[in-house]
Amino acid sequence: MLKDLFNILLPHISIAGFIILQLVLSMALSPRFYRYARLVSAIGISLSIILLSTVQTEPQYFAFRDSLMSDSYTLLFDFLILVCGFFTALLSRNHIRTIKANAYTFQAVLLCGIFGAMNIISANDFLTLFVSIEILSFSTYFLIASAKGYYSKEASFKYLLTSAVSTGVFLFGVSYLYGITGSLNLSVIYERIMIQEPSIMYSISAIMIVLGIISKLALFPFANWVIDVYKGAETSVLAFLSTIPKLAIFGIVCRLLVFPLSNSFELTFVLVAASLITAFWANIYAIRENNVKAILACSTAANSSYVMFAASLVSVYNLSTVIFYLLCYVMMNISVFAFLNICSDRHDMNVKSFKGLFYNNHGLVGAYAFSILGLAGIPVTSGFIAKIYLFTAIASSGLIFVPFLLILLILMVVALYYYLKILMPLFEKCDKNVEVTLLKPVFSQKFVLVITAIITLLIGIYPEKIIELCRFIAYNI
Amino acid sequence: MEKLLSLPFLIFMPLVISMFVISPLFTRNEIVVRRFAKSVFGFHFLYSILMLALFDPANPYISQIHFFGLDWVQSMGIKFIFKIDNISMILVMLTSFVFLISSFASKFNIRENHKFYYSMLLLLESAILGIFTAGDMFVFFLFWELELIPAYFLIGGKWKNLENESEAIKAQNSAIKFVLFTFLGSMVMLLGILLLHYYNFISNGILSASFVDINSSQIPANIQNIISVCLLIGFGVKLPIIPLHTWLPDAHTNAPTPVSMILAGILLKTGAYGIFRFNYQTLSDAFITIAPYLAVFALINIIYTAFVAYAQTDIKRIVAYSSISNMGLILLGLCAINQIGLSASVFHMVAHALITCGLFMIAGIVYLRCKTRDINTLSGIATVMPRLFGFATLIVLASIGIPAFAPFVSEILTIIASLNADFSDVLKFAAVFSLPLLIISSCYMLKFLHKSFYGELPQEFEKVNDITVHEFIVLASTLAGLVIFGIFPQVLLSMTLSMG
Repeated sequence: MLKDLFNILLPHISIAGFIILQLVLSMALSPRFYRYARLVSAIGISLSIILLSTVQTEPQYFAFRDSLMSDSYTLLFDFLILVCGFFTALLSRNHIRTIKANAYTFQAVLLCGIFGAMNIISANDFLTLFVSIEILSFSTYFLIASAKGYYSKEASFKYLLTSAVSTGVFLFGVSYLYGITGSLNLSVIYERIMIQEPSIMYSISAIMIVLGIISKLALFPFANWVIDVYKGAETSVLAFLSTIPKLAIFGIVCRLLVFPLSNSFELTFVLVAASLITAFWANIYAIRENNVKAILACSTAANSSYVMFAASLVSVYNLSTVIFYLLCYVMMNISVFAFLNICSDRHDMNVKSFKGLFYNNHGLVGAYAFSILGLAGIPVTSGFIAKIYLFTAIASSGLIFVPFLLILLILMVVALYYYLKILMPLFEKCDKNVEVTLLKPVFSQKFVLVITAIITLLIGIYPEKIIELCRFIAYNI
Repeated sequence: MEKLLSLPFLIFMPLVISMFVISPLFTRNEIVVRRFAKSVFGFHFLYSILMLALFDPANPYISQIHFFGLDWVQSMGIKFIFKIDNISMILVMLTSFVFLISSFASKFNIRENHKFYYSMLLLLESAILGIFTAGDMFVFFLFWELELIPAYFLIGGKWKNLENESEAIKAQNSAIKFVLFTFLGSMVMLLGILLLHYYNFISNGILSASFVDINSSQIPANIQNIISVCLLIGFGVKLPIIPLHTWLPDAHTNAPTPVSMILAGILLKTGAYGIFRFNYQTLSDAFITIAPYLAVFALINIIYTAFVAYAQTDIKRIVAYSSISNMGLILLGLCAINQIGLSASVFHMVAHALITCGLFMIAGIVYLRCKTRDINTLSGIATVMPRLFGFATLIVLASIGIPAFAPFVSEILTIIASLNADFSDVLKFAAVFSLPLLIISSCYMLKFLHKSFYGELPQEFEKVNDITVHEFIVLASTLAGLVIFGIFPQVLLSMTLSMG
């Protein structure tokens, strides 16, 4: 038992320890020390990143009666989650200034979310998976509600309700699967399913499980929360919300699709349909939105749907494209939200309120515009390569998917329209008599924005090493 | 001597300099920026002349960029490879020439944001050169997409102090329209490229996207047809082929004059070049099936837009529609699938680029001085601008296909080529019908010349000045090109006739 602990759990334990430390500090320190909360989180996450080197991965390592596992796949996702968590913690400066008294609690909840996400990736058991998903979800409810005003509470409650329903669906599916195979362990289920004839009951349970989980990705049956949540939540929370749950859920969904749920044709069909409907809905809905956050909400839903499409046509090649896309996507998204975090004093977040900002600060707005272009898939960003790589996966899955791919590609044109809607006002010149609210970035925000934009550029220019890494991981799953 | 020449330098020099120009290191002084940009374009033109002089058709320039000793994206078989063969060489020369004269034309049309303007112009040149020289499908696609950013800013940007706000909004809307149309086309094209990439892998066994490998692969006929149609939609937006053309008149009319010259002179040719590189060369089996249908579209292009052009009153719109008409002629030449047709369409690309540059320049000069481009308001300006009138007459005559000018040669050759196309009667039909309809082009062109230059001179135009040195250089160089290629067509034809 102790050996297991040291072999794979040290990063998790470090995060858990810092959660407790943050909670203790929240009681021990007076609110005027609020500004160290960020530092404590950053130290905790950095320590956890360092401790990732102690994790046993070759070839696969199972621990605690096979309920947790680690391999290079979990390692990569843990690393990405921790990096995103680190950036989010840095970005939370403005937010904890407004909630001084609860700064340490906020950081504790943030670390809780990261802890849950890391556990989701490592789960090899539906029970562990369920508990980890709940840890992640509950921390996101609190994070969303932590913003001031009525709207954030409403958004949080809406998300809570949707998640509750989807969790019910998930548990229902798990119970069916338990009935068919007699186990909750993913490896055991995979072995037993392989020797059975595929039955309709199995397909139904697989569909329910996956649909239950992907509600966190704002995919079709449970997508209605996304716009309210994005409008209501604080920007640093959005940087968390649009990256970490996405990485965790895609990480586990891909593993489920490759192993225990791989035997169901109906599941593929349902997922393709769900992702197409989401892509259609999200892209069309965003056309008439004028709120940057709402547009980005639609954009996350749309991007999830592209990834889900590729992931649902299970193959090792597709898996590598999915990992690569996620990697590029989270970097661009953090960069975008880092910029919105700098502008978070513009409360209405209307696209018009960003008018003429380019002439205020060339570098930062340029980096932001670059990341938005990356989301739209324009070269020389990593988004361009990621999109091509992802679509090669779909194109090589068979001629039958070509019409769907065409639909996705045409929807990308719609997407370009709303990205341009965000971008255009930045470069418009204001009249002299209109007062422009100047940007007041602090070092941490500038750091996150510039670092992520540079990563986006570097991957866009020379993607080969990263793609190789993704392929290596996909082939080792 | 040959060792001095470098393909990556030719392509990436404008890109690097554009980054330098936009950076805070570079001066804000507009005269310095303008002269620097002009000299860069001039140097680039000289460099491409040198490349042309040392060009050996049997031994095209090929250059591959390695990243740490590897291909660009090895996992997808993408190599960062560039290749200049005969047709690329001609188009590279043309690009660098048009950019040079449009930088001359920029002097009076661009009044604000000089740094940004010239850096975007340089970036656009790099992107277009990349399209013309790419030796790999994905590299081609990369530059095809990259060109959107500078083109958007050049069309929609605010380059001078406009009197009314509505003009700026119009320019921006047409820039968005241009970007969305092109992006739609390129997304459909991407589907074609992805399928081509995958089926090349299936049939050839090599994971590669370079044109050399794809030319040798045996893709099943029905798949080839699907891919061809996808690619044609992509190129058809740029070319433009008729139902996809609606972005063009707006973009060309609302862009500043030098940008219109680039759009009509070079940007449209990327579509024709794409059809040549992908459909004509790579998917040649499917192209024989598709060519007759495409010839019908080409005929519609020629007829329909010629009539539309006749109905226009704005000079720039007349020129824009005449461009579509001429692009139909280029498409018809490609559809003939023989050597004469190919050389005719390449020849017409050059001739048409020269003509539209001249005509847009004339429109710009008139607009700058008279503040209107409406041919019903203009009248009698020949008396105050005699030199402009001389140039306008000659260029208009050239555009309607008078002998001794370049378009005459290419129009005749196109007709001959499509009459010689023996695989389908549709081509002969198209040739027969496009010939009399070329007369309409003389109708609208002469109408423009007649209405704006002849007649009584109204009082408000009496104090108008004639052309300046810069404008003289632009018009004289286009006219010189038209005459040289009209009298010695063999200069160009010898390069293209050897291509298959």
